[in-house]
Amino acid sequence: MTKKTKKIRMANLKKTLSKIGIYVVLTFVALCVLAPLYVVLITSFKTKAEAMDPSFTFWPKEFDLHGYIEVFTYTSGTSDTMPTVVRGFINSMIICIPTSIIGTLVSALAAFAFSKLKYKSKNFLFTTLLVTMMIPGTISMIPSYILFDSIGWVDSFLPLMVPAMLGSASCVFFMRQFFYSIPNELMECSEMDGLGNFGIFVRVILPLSGPALIAQFLLSFVGTYNAYLGPLIYLQSPENYTLQIALNFFRGTYTTDWAVVMAGATVSLLPTLILFLFGQKYFIDGIATTGIKM
Amino acid sequence: MTQANIVRKTYSKKKMKKLNNIQGFVFSCFPVLRFAIFGFIPLVVGLLMAFLPMKFNFDVISAMQQGFTLNNFKEVLTDPIFWKSIGNTFYLALSWPISMIIALLVSILLTKEIKGKPFYRTVYFIPFICSLVAVTLMWNVILDHKYGVANNVIEWLTGTRINWKGDSKWYRFGLICMTVWSTTGYKIIILTAALTSVNKNLYEAASLDGANAFEKVINVTLPAISPTIFYLFVTGLIDVLQEFTRSQVWDRLGGPNSTGITMVFYLYREAFTYSNMGTASAVAWILSIMIILITILNFALSKKWVNYD
Repeated sequence: MTKKTKKIRMANLKKTLSKIGIYVVLTFVALCVLAPLYVVLITSFKTKAEAMDPSFTFWPKEFDLHGYIEVFTYTSGTSDTMPTVVRGFINSMIICIPTSIIGTLVSALAAFAFSKLKYKSKNFLFTTLLVTMMIPGTISMIPSYILFDSIGWVDSFLPLMVPAMLGSASCVFFMRQFFYSIPNELMECSEMDGLGNFGIFVRVILPLSGPALIAQFLLSFVGTYNAYLGPLIYLQSPENYTLQIALNFFRGTYTTDWAVVMAGATVSLLPTLILFLFGQKYFIDGIATTGIKM
Repeated sequence: MTQANIVRKTYSKKKMKKLNNIQGFVFSCFPVLRFAIFGFIPLVVGLLMAFLPMKFNFDVISAMQQGFTLNNFKEVLTDPIFWKSIGNTFYLALSWPISMIIALLVSILLTKEIKGKPFYRTVYFIPFICSLVAVTLMWNVILDHKYGVANNVIEWLTGTRINWKGDSKWYRFGLICMTVWSTTGYKIIILTAALTSVNKNLYEAASLDGANAFEKVINVTLPAISPTIFYLFVTGLIDVLQEFTRSQVWDRLGGPNSTGITMVFYLYREAFTYSNMGTASAVAWILSIMIILITILNFALSKKWVNYD
């Protein structure tokens, strides 16, 4: 064997070893992400005795559905007879779906004006929007509560829906960046065809922006669905609770039965996980593009 | 083209300009309106409230009749728990560098020629879409002193069990672990996107200069993606300074020795447990000024290390 082939062999060996190293690290991190979720899922199927056993079992001795039965039958004890978690899920959907759809479209309309139209107040409005992004949300939390309280909006969905429906700065920035990639010639052609600005937005721009709109809708939906502090402050009677608040409320009753609490956690995690499974491309692309263009 | 047509066209151009001014304003005013109504007005009212006696009183007008006072700030600044909450919050900010280092390592490895990249990316991203309440309940079960699986593993490895919820030091560490678990995936996605757009020629040039893999990361990769790291740092710090959900859901009383009381938690407790909107507003202003100052400082310092070529 010559020296040369030996050298090549050594290099190949080194390459394979470093590749194995990469897989080991990546898989280890992936396991760190998945293992806790596995604990949730597996605990939700245990009997009460097994869930509360000091020696953890990685596979239930017997599959038991009492956790899920409790989750779907527990009621808060108020006049509302619907199970708290079911009611919470319905409330969450009532809040999230219209808010995310309208919020995304309104942001897109603003982004369209910022990127494609020439008008006087553009710079002023855009700068104002830029400044708002820098102001921390918590500063307005208490006075907002007082203001909503004075117009009787506390303990209703309105404080959680109305502001969000007017669009968000981050969504405007994202869509604006996206619209820049649509050629202006397309707009000029449509103008010739007699379409007004709004017509161009609805008939030309929106149909071309499917993936970007879906990404923003999904991100906004997941954000509203998982929100905690806002609903915690504004929703006071159990029949108005969103799923997240209901889950934390309901957990207080089952401190000694983890199967139930983990079944509740699974139920609240499933909707976003399913959305993610089907729309992961949109989620990941939607997130990935925000970081580059800063 | 006839004379009449040309006249009509210039006329309509003028009209178009006017129309554009109106339409542009209407189209783009909603997000700004949101800020004006639900951001700016509360901002001003909040500033007033910070100087008003508002204990058990939600009415700003009647509080104003009692006169302005500095008592809210006095009360907050002499409360040892408030000072503790600042310390707790900054302690939790340690989660940022930890998750950043993990994210950098993972995303650099993800740019290598390996199979299954989409799978890994998908898995890493999962925590981002998980409900924080459910995730915190999950950790509550995993980190339980008596029944938690974490302690089973730790006991098997070291022979002792950790009192996560009873010991300040471990409570903090638990919160940091939770935050790292939740926030690293998002950073990985953004960093991988930034890394794939780094100019390949730079690496070749570095190879010709005899740089090894580690030197390439330090001298080529990190400067090239410094704007992205800066973006993650600014937004991450703003988020972590407003930490609330994890600590409140894990222990709504604030953990052992008030270790879980972050600044927003303190603010929330003043307002909704003790019904003191005045002190809560004072805290909100102190917190916001801190965040704004830190953000400005970040931008100022960024000139030293962020590379915008």
